[in-house]
Amino acid sequence: MIYRVRHVTTYRYDKPVDLASHLLHLKPRALPGQRVMNARIRCLPSPDHATETHDHYGNATTRIFLAAPHKHFEVVAESLVSVDFAPPPPAEDTMAWEDVAAAAPDGEAAEFLFGSSHAPVLAAAADYARPCFTPGRPILAALLELNSRITREFRFQAGVTSTSTKVEEILRLKRGVCQDFTHLMLSALRGLGLPARYMSGYVRTRPPPGQPRRRGADQSHAWVGAWLGDAHGWVGLDPTNAIVVRDEHVVLAWGRDFADISPLRGVILGGGAHRLTVSVDLEAEGGA
Amino acid sequence: MTAPMDEMVDGSGRIRPHWRDVLGAVGGLGRPQLEERARRLQRAAEEEGVASILPGSKSAAVGWRCDPVPLPLPADEFAALESGLAQRARLLEVLLADVYGPQDCVREGLLPAALVFGNPAFLRVWRRAAAPPRRPVLRLYAAELLRCPDGIWRVMSDRTALVSGLGHARENRRLMGEAMPEAFRASRPRGLSTFFELWQDSLQRLAPPRAGHAEAAPAVALLSAGHDHPHWFEHVVLSREISAALVEPGDLTVRGGALFLKTMQGLQPVDVLVSRVEATTLDPLEFAEADAGDGVPGLLDAARHGALSLVNAPGAGWAESPALAAFLPALCERLLGERLWLESLPTEWLGSPGAAARALAGPEAPLIRPAMDGAAPGARLDGALRAAVLANPSGFAATQLPPASVAPCFSGVTLAPLPVALRLFGFSDGDRWHAMPGGLARVLDDVAPMAGRLPRSGWCKDVWVLSDENGPIIGPAAQHLPPISIRRDSGALPSRVADNLFWLGRYVERLDRAARLMRATLSRLRRGVPLPREVAELAALASCLVEAGIIEEEARPSGGSTTALAAALALAVTPEGRVGRLQSRIASLTATVRDRLTDDMHATFVQTLRAARAAGDTAGTGLEALSRAMIANLRFATAVAGVASENMTRGGGWLFLELGRRLERAQAVLAEIGLVLEQPPARIEAGLRLVLELCDSVITYRNRYLAVLQPAPVLDLVLADPSNPRGLAFQMAAIGEALAGIAGSAEDTLIEQAGDLAQAAAAVVDDLLAAADQAQAASELPPRLAAMADALGELSNAVFRRYFALLPAAQVLGLDDEPAEVVPA
Repeated sequence: MIYRVRHVTTYRYDKPVDLASHLLHLKPRALPGQRVMNARIRCLPSPDHATETHDHYGNATTRIFLAAPHKHFEVVAESLVSVDFAPPPPAEDTMAWEDVAAAAPDGEAAEFLFGSSHAPVLAAAADYARPCFTPGRPILAALLELNSRITREFRFQAGVTSTSTKVEEILRLKRGVCQDFTHLMLSALRGLGLPARYMSGYVRTRPPPGQPRRRGADQSHAWVGAWLGDAHGWVGLDPTNAIVVRDEHVVLAWGRDFADISPLRGVILGGGAHRLTVSVDLEAEGGA
Repeated sequence: MTAPMDEMVDGSGRIRPHWRDVLGAVGGLGRPQLEERARRLQRAAEEEGVASILPGSKSAAVGWRCDPVPLPLPADEFAALESGLAQRARLLEVLLADVYGPQDCVREGLLPAALVFGNPAFLRVWRRAAAPPRRPVLRLYAAELLRCPDGIWRVMSDRTALVSGLGHARENRRLMGEAMPEAFRASRPRGLSTFFELWQDSLQRLAPPRAGHAEAAPAVALLSAGHDHPHWFEHVVLSREISAALVEPGDLTVRGGALFLKTMQGLQPVDVLVSRVEATTLDPLEFAEADAGDGVPGLLDAARHGALSLVNAPGAGWAESPALAAFLPALCERLLGERLWLESLPTEWLGSPGAAARALAGPEAPLIRPAMDGAAPGARLDGALRAAVLANPSGFAATQLPPASVAPCFSGVTLAPLPVALRLFGFSDGDRWHAMPGGLARVLDDVAPMAGRLPRSGWCKDVWVLSDENGPIIGPAAQHLPPISIRRDSGALPSRVADNLFWLGRYVERLDRAARLMRATLSRLRRGVPLPREVAELAALASCLVEAGIIEEEARPSGGSTTALAAALALAVTPEGRVGRLQSRIASLTATVRDRLTDDMHATFVQTLRAARAAGDTAGTGLEALSRAMIANLRFATAVAGVASENMTRGGGWLFLELGRRLERAQAVLAEIGLVLEQPPARIEAGLRLVLELCDSVITYRNRYLAVLQPAPVLDLVLADPSNPRGLAFQMAAIGEALAGIAGSAEDTLIEQAGDLAQAAAAVVDDLLAAADQAQAASELPPRLAAMADALGELSNAVFRRYFALLPAAQVLGLDDEPAEVVPA
């Protein structure tokens, strides 16, 4: 599937911002299964200085600096991305989850075993997940069940949580948004000794039957990358939608949690109060 | 438990040879003299700002005490430590390069993943997955060692983040040179200056090539968290040793990918930054845990792209992780192909199989430290720690503590053998590591923390490396720096420092004014039953005291009673009173501009301010004692004025101090004259006498006009005569000159405003001379003077707006203001 991605972030400030620095994770990363045909970022006003690097995880990172006073700031990230992640192996062919846990500390995924500020290793989260992880169960079978269970048992509701809501609180509220479900699942898996990483990106919006696609209604999305062991590597699981990531998602970046790779972070001097609008378009090429 | 080794005495009770000279000199002093030297060390430390200026004041509340007996190290022993320190630093440098680069050590299993990826001190923002960091992460290093009973020094902690103590060591040496000259001459320890010169040289060489500024000398700055940081004085000392500008995060800004210092002369580039702040507070853009107001947004990116060299680079603190010690021997073999010469104290990471059980079962309680927090002091294993270790073994490291070697320390009464820890320092010039031939020895008394960060207070010893008679003389290599062009200004003056000097000037003058008003009042109160003239003067003085915020309205004399007034004045000199608070504010501002004052200037400030505070503290309610306290305050203000006039170059810093003083004095003169002249024409003479007294112009007037008091000549002297340094015209001229000096030009609206005020003052006197009845005209002056005071207030505000306008607050975007998500259909 080929997607045309357009992600527009706009800040309007009450007072002029004298100096602004922004850190962006807004360029899709090239991966097996994801080809980035082009990607660019434009800002208004145009920056006085900008740098591009790859961070510790290998994500494309853009930093922009504005030194002229401005009351309006807009970032437009556009890309053309072809996505076709390999289907996961049959669940029964994957290793027992305990064996994955045992192999993890010496494997390539070791980094994602440890707790992080938004997705700590948490006994309560592990306890929530444990019924899916019966002894000797193939890891993917357990993961798929957990993935669906979160979708089923947690209500998707915006406005009840924020990026600083703790996993304990999400467990109690039983509601939240994609970030919250992702952090919860990360905490649960790490609590079981399984490596898991935070995936940031977009999911396509399926048009309801007979209606045009809802333009501009979407947001940044998040889901879980879970490790199946050396043989099968990583699989993407979207606990907000109870699906395995195949060709409906575009990956921007991964990290330990939201804080590592938030799409746009900034520090401004001045500005007073501000209003933020975000719109994401993920249009399938050829209208498919 | 084995007995500790004695640094001074060998196994058979003989004095070790390298102690003979030191002990001979110390013994030759005798105990009373040694006590005196210990006191002298303490006093010197206080005067130079190692300790706080006024008791209880927030600034630099550090209590480092330097022992009069140094810790000597023989040349050969130091040589071994030196090469060991250099090798250990090299090892950590290479290890850090790997951790912040390819991470082969983790892949090869030489380093547990938990100690890297589960370590909060591993700063991912500094790692580049694709290429190794451009420059070594580690440039400055310290190790804290204990000497074990087998006579071998072993490392207790590695210091790679803030590397504190270097400035204290430098300062100890200076103090010891003054307090213990006999011992110094007898032992001839190796000097420290060369080390600092070489370090300064190497820092300058770190400067990245700067486009378009090829001719300029590299700019090195030392970043401090500010004057209330426990190690502020150390930052002051260090910045001087290496000729670095002492800056705070708010002084810096990143523009176009490069770092600049905000100065009164505009933005000045910074090439090399020696950082003394926590790495995670350096840049709020990069560290989610930093507050918006912390650090400098973009600083890390400037360093990442090579526009700035950071010493040490962020992330270097990872190497402080106590658990790392367990893996260093194998890592040294692998990374350097060498045996580790300078060993650690036996240390295990309790996440290793079986390690926790061993640590818990051992006969001696080990030192338990968080495995990945080098700043933590650690504690001996006890019941509570045992439970914590069992719950999470991989969170801890256990170190077997030997009985540390003991050295003679002067307790104030006797010389007693006490355990010591030795901190050694080194820097890298890019090719090799240089160890400082000296160090900081901490006396491990009952209250001293064992390991971790350098505490804010403690008892320490200077470390004397004895010279090998045939040793080589090492000096800095010939430098290929461009010749520095002659400058007559005082260099870049950070805006914050200008602000502080401005306020220091204002507060010193405010204290001076308070003391003058109070002295004048007290002298009248002391006469017992006041004359009718004095009753009027006291009423006028009370108005001035109320206006200056020294007393409350209720304290005014009423119905012939001055009891409340006297009580209010006694209250004003207490630490919570107006005078006491002014003194505290001055003490704290003095600490903030410590790096702008020479040691002599600082000592003068501190001595006279302390004397003023002490006089107030002991004054009680006695009128005479209160008068004496006022004289002590005036003496302080005079000392500041004298020191400023004789010891400061007339550049940026002095201009702001001067501007603050003159503005404050001009406002006070106008306010006081206005209040004192609020008299019926018949009483105007009493007012005029008071005006002369408050403006310290009685004698000048008498010399000019003998005893006849008339409004025009009096007001000419205090308002219009530009030669009277206590009069208004003089202040306006000085303000104009200071403003011209700051702006670099005499064409300026603010200078015009100052000139207008001087003319208005002259016009007042002209009008008085032309008046038919001078007394009548004088008693009608207050509204006119009030208008002038308003104009002066506007000028003061305009100065503030131009030079010190507060920057808008910084805020972080994108954390909690993501708009609510819409469920994908």
